Amino acid sequence: MHTLPRWAARGLLFVPSNDYTARVAMQQPPITPNTSRPTVPLPVRPAGNGLILEARNLTKRYRLGNRDVDALRGVSLRVRRGEFVALMGPSGSGKSTLLQLLGGLDRPTDGEVVLDGEVISHLSDSQATRLRREKTGFVFQFFNLIPLLDVYENVALPFTIAGVDPRRGEAAARINAVLELVDLKGRERNRPDQLSAGEQQRVALARALVGRPAILLADEPTGNLDYATGGEILDELWRSCDEMGQTIVLVTHDARAAAHADRVLVVGDGRIRDEIELGRRTNRDAGPLIARLAQLGL
Amino acid sequence: MRTFLTTAGIALGVAVLFASLSAGATVDSAVDRAAADEIGRADLRVSALEEGGLTAATLQSISQIAGVAVAAPALERKTYLAASLSQTASAKLPPPVTVLGIDPVLEPKLHDMPLTRGHLLADGDAHSALITQTLADEEGLGLGDSVTLSGTREVGPQAYSVVGIVVGNGTLPEADGRLVIITLPAAQALFGVEGVTRVDLGAARGTSVDELIGQLEQGLKTQPYLLSRASDLADTLRSEMADFRGALLLVAAVVLFAGAFLIFNTLSMTVAELTREVGLLRAAGTTRSQVMRLILLQALALGVVGSLIGVAAGIGLASVALFSVRSAGSIVFAGPSFSIASVLMTLFVGIMLTLAAALEPAWRAGRIPPVEALRRGPPGAAAGAARLRWLVVVFAVLAVGALVFWPNGSGGSSGGSLLSSVGGSGTWGPPFVFGLLLLTVLLVPRLLGPLVGVGGIPFRIFRNEERLARSALTRDKSRTTLTAGALVVGVAMIVALGTAAQDVRKIGANWLTETVPGSELLTSIRPVLASDPIQAELAAKPGVKSVSPIGLFGVGYLMTTQVDGRPSTSIVRQEAAAIVGADYLADGRLTFVEGDRTTALTALGSTGSVIVPESVAGPASIHLNDTLEFATGSTVTKLRCVGIVQRSIPAQSQEAMLIGWADAPTFGVTGADFFAIRYQPDMEATARPAVDADAISYALEPNQLDRVSGTVGDALDRIFRLLDALALIAVLVAGLGMVNTFSMSVLERVREIGVLRATGMTSGQVWGMVVIEAGILGIVGSSIGAVVGMVVGILLVGWSSGGFGFAFDPPWLSIALAFAFGILISVTASIYPAGLASRYSIVRALQHE
Repeated sequence: MHTLPRWAARGLLFVPSNDYTARVAMQQPPITPNTSRPTVPLPVRPAGNGLILEARNLTKRYRLGNRDVDALRGVSLRVRRGEFVALMGPSGSGKSTLLQLLGGLDRPTDGEVVLDGEVISHLSDSQATRLRREKTGFVFQFFNLIPLLDVYENVALPFTIAGVDPRRGEAAARINAVLELVDLKGRERNRPDQLSAGEQQRVALARALVGRPAILLADEPTGNLDYATGGEILDELWRSCDEMGQTIVLVTHDARAAAHADRVLVVGDGRIRDEIELGRRTNRDAGPLIARLAQLGL
Repeated sequence: MRTFLTTAGIALGVAVLFASLSAGATVDSAVDRAAADEIGRADLRVSALEEGGLTAATLQSISQIAGVAVAAPALERKTYLAASLSQTASAKLPPPVTVLGIDPVLEPKLHDMPLTRGHLLADGDAHSALITQTLADEEGLGLGDSVTLSGTREVGPQAYSVVGIVVGNGTLPEADGRLVIITLPAAQALFGVEGVTRVDLGAARGTSVDELIGQLEQGLKTQPYLLSRASDLADTLRSEMADFRGALLLVAAVVLFAGAFLIFNTLSMTVAELTREVGLLRAAGTTRSQVMRLILLQALALGVVGSLIGVAAGIGLASVALFSVRSAGSIVFAGPSFSIASVLMTLFVGIMLTLAAALEPAWRAGRIPPVEALRRGPPGAAAGAARLRWLVVVFAVLAVGALVFWPNGSGGSSGGSLLSSVGGSGTWGPPFVFGLLLLTVLLVPRLLGPLVGVGGIPFRIFRNEERLARSALTRDKSRTTLTAGALVVGVAMIVALGTAAQDVRKIGANWLTETVPGSELLTSIRPVLASDPIQAELAAKPGVKSVSPIGLFGVGYLMTTQVDGRPSTSIVRQEAAAIVGADYLADGRLTFVEGDRTTALTALGSTGSVIVPESVAGPASIHLNDTLEFATGSTVTKLRCVGIVQRSIPAQSQEAMLIGWADAPTFGVTGADFFAIRYQPDMEATARPAVDADAISYALEPNQLDRVSGTVGDALDRIFRLLDALALIAVLVAGLGMVNTFSMSVLERVREIGVLRATGMTSGQVWGMVVIEAGILGIVGSSIGAVVGMVVGILLVGWSSGGFGFAFDPPWLSIALAFAFGILISVTASIYPAGLASRYSIVRALQHE
């Protein structure tokens, strides 16, 4: 049994972070720890076949006024191909910073990130851009669609940016397929302001998936959505992982969202504090995770 | 940054306005000085209307008129220094000198003649001369040196001893500094004339100028004359300059107009940006009027600072502008002059314009509801797009300002004045031009979609960036319109000026070709007598087909008008030309609108006929076969109008009436002022050198027709270049607005740019996106500007030529240059914002609210 870490006492995880978590927490009876698994999993899993992403001792230091702030203090993690990993933690824990480093949006102060066999943490701007274009897909909390492009054009962005004609050949086929996956067929000509929030996020998801990235990085993708719509997006993320073998790293502080993952890494104070192995489950209910978190005193 | 750009925009606009006001004041003071120099302390000037000048009898009558204390006669003629004529190897004659023959006793009573060295002329001293310091410097002459002037053929060159050097350029502005003063009898002998050009009068003590005029009108019946006071002279000169001043102010107003777009746009963006803060203020209890005051105060501060800087910059601009123009006609500009009044007026206009431009944004800020404080994302409709119709308010303020500043009597005052095309047509011309520009700008939002689509075509190779750039431009149509609007106005003015300049030049060239019977002009600075053998000598040269003498002179046309139901006759000075009608018969020159060509031209071979140009016939209601009366000496000469021509020989200030040589002596015409040479077909190249050499030896200046119009063109070019430079400032102001808009647009799209970068767009592609946006805007603005500019140019030309002589021939080169410049400015304006966009940290961009 874990003792309650002091950092967690300050964190959002300790109190259910939203209605959904609270409700689920109330409905679900506490579950007993699964003794077949190690109760305290290692923060870093041993390297195995099919490793797609690895972070080695990542440090990120910011200058805030006249003092340095450590956002990450030596984080190491590994993600297998086709795995769905959730990074959980309270605000300011460093989980978004970690995601940015993993996706090559920012450079670490120290340590390195290996994506699909390539060290990406010290690439030049243009190399990092190419890598993002070819190997990563992003979904953000605020959808971040381009307001004056229609649905099709927004989804086609990775192709048009790469100079590929999105109306022809394989690109067109892939865009149509991904639009079908996110259930937006027939809405291609709509502008973002003609879509609901959920539909906008589905467009963002389609945009992230269309390039078949090696890894999809999602930063609080349900943070700006209502309960039901958020659930739909999470289901679509899960389906892309389960059916298409898409590797996903999801940042969230919502236990229900994290419950879709195969594995949950709990981030706090710039470090990986815990790892909870949930495994691939078709029902994705949050009960076991919440129970585990409660068990861990989170 | 935005504050700086707006301030700079206001400052530039105000600078141009101040510079043009200051240039106007300088023109005024130069005119006053020129008038004072010319007329001195004389109360009145009696000038000869006829070529032969005022006769001795007239002089006698004048001096006998009661109330005349001093009557100082003078003869003014141009000639060459004899030394210049010996340099026959030179293909071009040096500039002539003006000879002023004066009465050494009477002249100093009315005119100051300050000397640097030597002494004034003594009475009866027929062999002494005064020269100006300028001429002394140019020709290397000093006291005691001899200056030899070329006289009539009979008299030959005459030498005079320099006894005094007059300060500076002397007292005769049109002499351009090359002035030689000798005694009146010496001058009359030199030029073989008996009359005088003018008599300056000093009124006796106790006699008013009006009384003197009355006396003259009663007592002087011997021959027609012109009376002028110093103020009349200044007015005449000033009205000649009014078009120039009008054009300057028009361009200044255009620049201010472009500046107003910048101010309006900036404050609109500020309001949009401050929406949440204003919402909070409103939620906290701030009233609408307080919010409005806040925005207006901000505008006031910008207006005051911008206008102050503008006035300072205007001083520099005025100096540069006046230096580049140097002179207009006979008026030479000194340094710029400034007055407190003009500084205050400029400040007032700058600040009022800023406040006018700020009214709508301030009003909009006042309408922001408190709920905006709580809203996330883009501001609500209340604080959204600027309402372009408010531009009309800005326009109204400018129009009021223009009415205050517009020089009186400008525009179309002088029919033949080429610059009047820019000065516009009366008082409604400039507002009409502004209205057209404003209307165009207000139409831009409706056409923006397709225009941006077309503007994007050259950038299609960058499919992604082009698509994103287009979407950015159509995001806020009002803002894009305001940004493009300034560019439209600037480019339109450049193109309009180009169109006007080209047309004016072309009309000038065509005019000469149509009205001069030959391909070369030999000009003389004084009449060549019919007895002079030169005409026969030139005609005998191999290859020469005809030598046609043309004499220009003034006539006193007796115009009868109805005053209070009774006919009243007044003498109006008209310009006339003596021609050989038969020389025009040979080729199709002169286009007749009334009368038979052959009959009319043949009629000029004998006495009693005149051909009138349409521009004179129209206003004076002269019709075919009318009998025209002219004052000649103490008698009246009657000529029948045998034809009306579309255009005639351009004289000094109007088109000349055409009179046959047989009638010329009646008008006191002694000889030809130029000869039009027509060559045998294909002989011009071989025959010309011999003709030119011969001409120069006779002090005739050979000029090819295209060179003559080229000289006119050069003088015009200098003024048009200045106006162009000022219009370029309007484009520059537009450029400042663009830096502003693109920066704002980038700031608004930070998060989008972050997403694009995260999705794999390189920083170069982001840079390209912003620059392409500017490129498209540049193409759109410049295209509209070019089209509107051509329309405005056509209107200007139409007004100036009274609808005649216009052929649609766009100045493609200046259009291309203006178009390229517009795009260049636009693209340059985007470099900084594009750099900003491309350098954004992706992480920060994604976190941007």
